[in-house]
Amino acid sequence: MKHWKTKGSLLVLATFIALAGCSGGKSDQPNSAAQPNKPAASGGEKVLTIANATDIESFDPQNNNNTQSEAVLVNMFDYLLRNDSSQKKVPGLATSWEKVNDTTWRFKLRQGVKFHNGDPFTAADVKFTFERLAKDAKLKQNTYYKNFKEVNIIDDYTVEIVTNGPDPLMLNKLSRMGADILPSKYIQEKGMDAFLKEPVGTGPYKFSQWQKDNRVELVKNAEYFGGSPKWDKVTFRVIPEASTRVSELITGGVDIAAGVPTTDVKRIQGVNDMKVEQATIQRVLHLIMRMTPGSVTADPKVREAIDLAINDKEIVDSIAGGAGTPTRTSVTPGNFGADPSLYNQYLFDKEKAKALLKEAGYASGGPKVTFSSQVQYKEIAEVAAAMLTEVGFQVNLEILEATKFSEKLNSKKFNELFLLGVGNSLFDASNNYNRFKFENAKGETDYNNPEVEQLLQAADKNMNPEEREKQYQKVQQILAVDRPTIYLYQLKGVYGVGAKVNYKPRLDEMYFAEEITPQN
Amino acid sequence: MGKYIVKSLLQMIPVLFLISTIVFILVHVTGDPVALMLPETATEADRAALSQALGLDKPLYIQFLVFLGNVLHGDFGRSFHYGQSALPLVLERLPASFELAFAAMVVATVLAVPLGIISAVKRNSFLDLFISGISVLGKAMPNFWTGIMLILLFSVMLGVFPVSGRGGAEHLVLPAVTLGTAVMAQMTRLIRSSMLEILNQDYIRTARSKGLLERVVIFTHAFRNGLIPVVTIMSLQFTSLIGGTLITETVFSWPGLGQLLVTAVNTHDMAIVQAAVFIIAILVILSNLLTDLIYRILDPRIKYS
Repeated sequence: MKHWKTKGSLLVLATFIALAGCSGGKSDQPNSAAQPNKPAASGGEKVLTIANATDIESFDPQNNNNTQSEAVLVNMFDYLLRNDSSQKKVPGLATSWEKVNDTTWRFKLRQGVKFHNGDPFTAADVKFTFERLAKDAKLKQNTYYKNFKEVNIIDDYTVEIVTNGPDPLMLNKLSRMGADILPSKYIQEKGMDAFLKEPVGTGPYKFSQWQKDNRVELVKNAEYFGGSPKWDKVTFRVIPEASTRVSELITGGVDIAAGVPTTDVKRIQGVNDMKVEQATIQRVLHLIMRMTPGSVTADPKVREAIDLAINDKEIVDSIAGGAGTPTRTSVTPGNFGADPSLYNQYLFDKEKAKALLKEAGYASGGPKVTFSSQVQYKEIAEVAAAMLTEVGFQVNLEILEATKFSEKLNSKKFNELFLLGVGNSLFDASNNYNRFKFENAKGETDYNNPEVEQLLQAADKNMNPEEREKQYQKVQQILAVDRPTIYLYQLKGVYGVGAKVNYKPRLDEMYFAEEITPQN
Repeated sequence: MGKYIVKSLLQMIPVLFLISTIVFILVHVTGDPVALMLPETATEADRAALSQALGLDKPLYIQFLVFLGNVLHGDFGRSFHYGQSALPLVLERLPASFELAFAAMVVATVLAVPLGIISAVKRNSFLDLFISGISVLGKAMPNFWTGIMLILLFSVMLGVFPVSGRGGAEHLVLPAVTLGTAVMAQMTRLIRSSMLEILNQDYIRTARSKGLLERVVIFTHAFRNGLIPVVTIMSLQFTSLIGGTLITETVFSWPGLGQLLVTAVNTHDMAIVQAAVFIIAILVILSNLLTDLIYRILDPRIKYS
């Protein structure tokens, strides 16, 4: 009996050991990282592996609102037209397009294209895609497309998209996240949940498997309309910790590692033939100011002093390791309406800033300002706040966690200054300027310049691109003087690239596997 | 004993209800998920429309009643982030979490049992001090540091183990060692003190005076009786390993519950948070029950009523 009990207790321990032993061996996962520095064509198979910090949200392109997700999905789905690597519109599933009138666009569709399940691509898919996007308010992308009134099928390979009012952004909307063409027959027959488990598109790569927070695996679609794809398999791995991503790159576990921190750049450069690629991305740091009468930043001299006190270049060099471009506009090159004269520019003059504060009546004891930032940009906010203190501001720095920050942002409760990183997936100036329209500015910046308002309202509906571009350029010149917002710099993405691939990162941060080529 | 098990299981119901209520209130009062779902450029009208579409504009008590009704049917709602039912999303993470927790416990147990016993038997010797030193070090090293160091040594320099991810058994080694060393430290200290207490008991002296082999005295008479506190700590550690290994999961990009839960908290993905906490609560309760049953195997004097 005694022996039995002894054995019983040991059994408990043994169970732990045995269960753990079993659990490890069952997996049929490819063990890429166990063979450091494996060649690209392991076993004759060409495999591309990319490491991101976060996972995709889902395979529903219309219910994603993050660049990382779309960067994966662009390999499985196609847009009607897409941006090439220099952001020029090129045919996708549409071969040609024309504006019929201010509210109607006609698209000729590519023939002979098949979805991954064999269904042919026709006008019905375009109708289904955009009508779902425009009508379902639950979808995260709905906000960009709700002005799509209807999609009319002219014949199997011709469609017309009709909008409520003129939409100069039509082509931009059709070539960005959300506009991926979905298989109407498949979704209508099997339902959305089935689609999310076994997604089907027309793109160069087909879905193979998704292990959440681990990897998305895609395989070649040999019947792709653009010719046989370059890679047999494309894997997107999720590696949240930056130093682990870099270690994976160095050991050959991945070919491209996104988001390389400044401190790890040297680790990569020290390894044979590995490269660090920097590329400008669509995100500009805004320092947004309250102009409500009575607040210190309502005084233009104070706002100018803030602009002159902050040395943008110094912040880029010291915090971002040089990965950024100072700018005085948020509409950066590559976006419709950009004004190059305000790009790669910054103002910095400490003495003049001090003099301006004196002129504004702050001879002794500078103005008190609250400077809010979310944790993500903590270091930048700290350095900028220190620069403001140097010229005489009394800064109360408020660093907020992401949820608290967006809550304050949405309820417009920030005080004098807040730091915000703003992206632009539409590649159009209008996306940058909603904030300054009178209706939206109310309570936040309280910026109110009738000329800007009139220009923005006109540009929203202007179907003449040349005129519209001038309107936005004018707005930028006015904002550079009015300063409801000071722009610090445009961010750059830093990528580690393995020796076996050629990769030039894109402005839109998409990973088109077909643009990434094997070395040799 | 059957009665005891049934009673314990019935007691789960009010506990789970209480936990669900607290979690529901906490996730609903700490922030609005809609704000995080739309781009920075979205207008107030866009946010209101989404809020209404998701039913988040209704009064809190209505939302709570709907939530309770759905939970009774095993439905925790849809994840805003993934756009899928929350419960399956949580359940599919359990194998990864279990795998890592078991492996870590194995590492900890295999190291802690001999080290703890040696430490107690050779009390105050150099070996005892050395083992104490290792335990303190094991506890003092933060997991993210241990993890990164192990990666640099065994993956980058030596190329023995993969850097990260979940796959074959070799992927499990480094994260299990990282987590295991911290647990090991605590267990070693506990086994040592529990053994010391027992080694001073009269019956041990009797056993020794009967001329039994020292090996028999230590393993058959002392160690078995010292196991109760060890089982307690193993049970506690195991449940905390299931839900709370976020740092190690992040360093090794291990797709467990911890990562899911933190993403859910950061994005205010209420359904996932509720489902995950619910599942973790069930696991904790079941693990406590199992521990109680093991006590009885170890010490038949313990009775349940």
